[in-house]
Amino acid sequence: MTPHITPVMLGQVIVSGLLAGALYAMVALGLGLIFGVMRVLNVAHGPLLMLGAYITYGLFAAVGLNPYLSLLVSMPVVFVIGVALQHFLVRRVVDAPELSSLLLTFGISIALVNFAQLAFTSDLRSVEFITGSFLIGPFAFSKARVIACLFAAAITALAFLFLQKTRLGKAIRAVSQSREVAQVCGINVHRIHMLAFGLASALAAAGGTLMTVMVAIQPEMGAVYTFKSFLVIVLGGAGNYPGALLGGLLLGLVEQLASLFLTTQVNEAVAYVLLVLVLLLRPTGLLGGRAT
Amino acid sequence: MKRWTRWFPLALALTLLVLSVYPLWATGYGVRVMLQLFMWIALAQSWNLISGLTGYVSFGHVAFFGMGSYTTAILVVKGMAWPLAAVAGGVMAVVLAFVIGWPCLRLKGPYFAIAMLGLNEVLRVMASYFEGLTGGGLGLSLPTLDASVRIYYAMGLVALAVTALTYLIVTSRFGLRLMTIREDEVAAEAMGIDTFRYKIYAFLLSAAAPGIVGGLAARDMGYIEPISVFPLVTTITMIVMVLFGGKGTIWGPVLGAVILFTLQELVWAHFPHAHQVLLGAIIVTVVLVMPRGILGVLQQKYNLPRTV
Repeated sequence: MTPHITPVMLGQVIVSGLLAGALYAMVALGLGLIFGVMRVLNVAHGPLLMLGAYITYGLFAAVGLNPYLSLLVSMPVVFVIGVALQHFLVRRVVDAPELSSLLLTFGISIALVNFAQLAFTSDLRSVEFITGSFLIGPFAFSKARVIACLFAAAITALAFLFLQKTRLGKAIRAVSQSREVAQVCGINVHRIHMLAFGLASALAAAGGTLMTVMVAIQPEMGAVYTFKSFLVIVLGGAGNYPGALLGGLLLGLVEQLASLFLTTQVNEAVAYVLLVLVLLLRPTGLLGGRAT
Repeated sequence: MKRWTRWFPLALALTLLVLSVYPLWATGYGVRVMLQLFMWIALAQSWNLISGLTGYVSFGHVAFFGMGSYTTAILVVKGMAWPLAAVAGGVMAVVLAFVIGWPCLRLKGPYFAIAMLGLNEVLRVMASYFEGLTGGGLGLSLPTLDASVRIYYAMGLVALAVTALTYLIVTSRFGLRLMTIREDEVAAEAMGIDTFRYKIYAFLLSAAAPGIVGGLAARDMGYIEPISVFPLVTTITMIVMVLFGGKGTIWGPVLGAVILFTLQELVWAHFPHAHQVLLGAIIVTVVLVMPRGILGVLQQKYNLPRTV
């Protein structure tokens, strides 16, 4: 408990929250992409993030590769895994009742986590690459977090550019608006689904890679990001991609602000309470999304 | 089909009779094993009530189990008799279900599934945090008591009760409403079904048994800690049992629980590491290849009544 909260602390917390929020936004954008395009909630999103983290850890431990450079490996590799998952498994349940896709991706997520346990054991791993902080006036910002935030912002911006400007990006948005009409216009919906799943997986992997320098890596680290990403989507409004950005920043802020008043353990519950509150008070999200 | 209707009740009665006298000649180990089987039947059957019938997937049903465990353990430590404390565990689980279900079940879509995914983690954190009440990470030790035979009967009773409840629900208008929600919720609403109300009812019913069973399990183990009563693998096992046996059926969860529990005791105990890969693979395979489960396939092939 902190009885005295100074303006400096508050400023520090707000910036930290925005730094964390950028990362949340990027990861959540992936989950939102799959949800928007296929109406499938990918429970394995967090475990795909975990895979990205382990790829980076593996390359760092084996050949000492710069964790930020390993984005160039983790994103394509997990992209391919995502495309394969969509092509071989998820495709078959896109039109099935929600129960099927939820259970299927849940099964995939269990298998991925256990695979990581077998391959890397459950020991906590870390990548000690960048330590220390930038000191700006009275504030101190962990270098790892600032760099992660910059990368996340850049990747998110690229993803948005891709969605807004390119033909493929437009096709993805068309499919998420109406699959039938998109199909009539000559868009290969199956390929768009694979692309969307691959992109989403790559965004998750980028999140995992950027986290390696800040948090401990372990096989079960993913589940909480599936949950938080979903919360971000709910905050922003389902199917509303810019909303996901706002939701991510908001979640980061709320978590950091809460950490002023609560101990770390209870802090885990903050996101949960937030989800329940939003569902109660404003189920269509802050910016409004598709009706549910 | 005629043959089924004749010998099925008979076989059932015989099984129940054998099970009710089983502790008279069984070893202590045998009683413990059967007691766990009953526990799994009750858990699988409960998951089936919400997820199998309404199609709303609960990814955190073990939360109710843990809630029951802690409620019972705390009350027993404070001096309450364990059967009463276990019932209190069931009540607390239902209260928790109401708190979660009220916001999440008003909406369609995966909101409920995700809320349940997070719930378990939150409860585990809370159980570690409120040390005064729960003993925190150190856990709670219950006073020693040799009650396995009595717990055996209690577990059996709960398993039987949930199965009977499922039978009553599936053969009633209430069950039809739930299944209509599963098949097409919008159509259900158009037909005048208050979907939110029935989803909540189903959810509350599905939380009661895990709460009681969690309390009984806590009494049986004699010691609980956050990790031991909120394991994700319990939820996974429940789900696999129901999917494997046949979701939305009456005897599917029982069948799935018996088969999976037997496999687990005989085979998988030797490969503890790859256990979850197997469970994950079973879920994926069943969803893709036989979404109706073993019983569903049998029903279709031999044209059995829905109530078998």
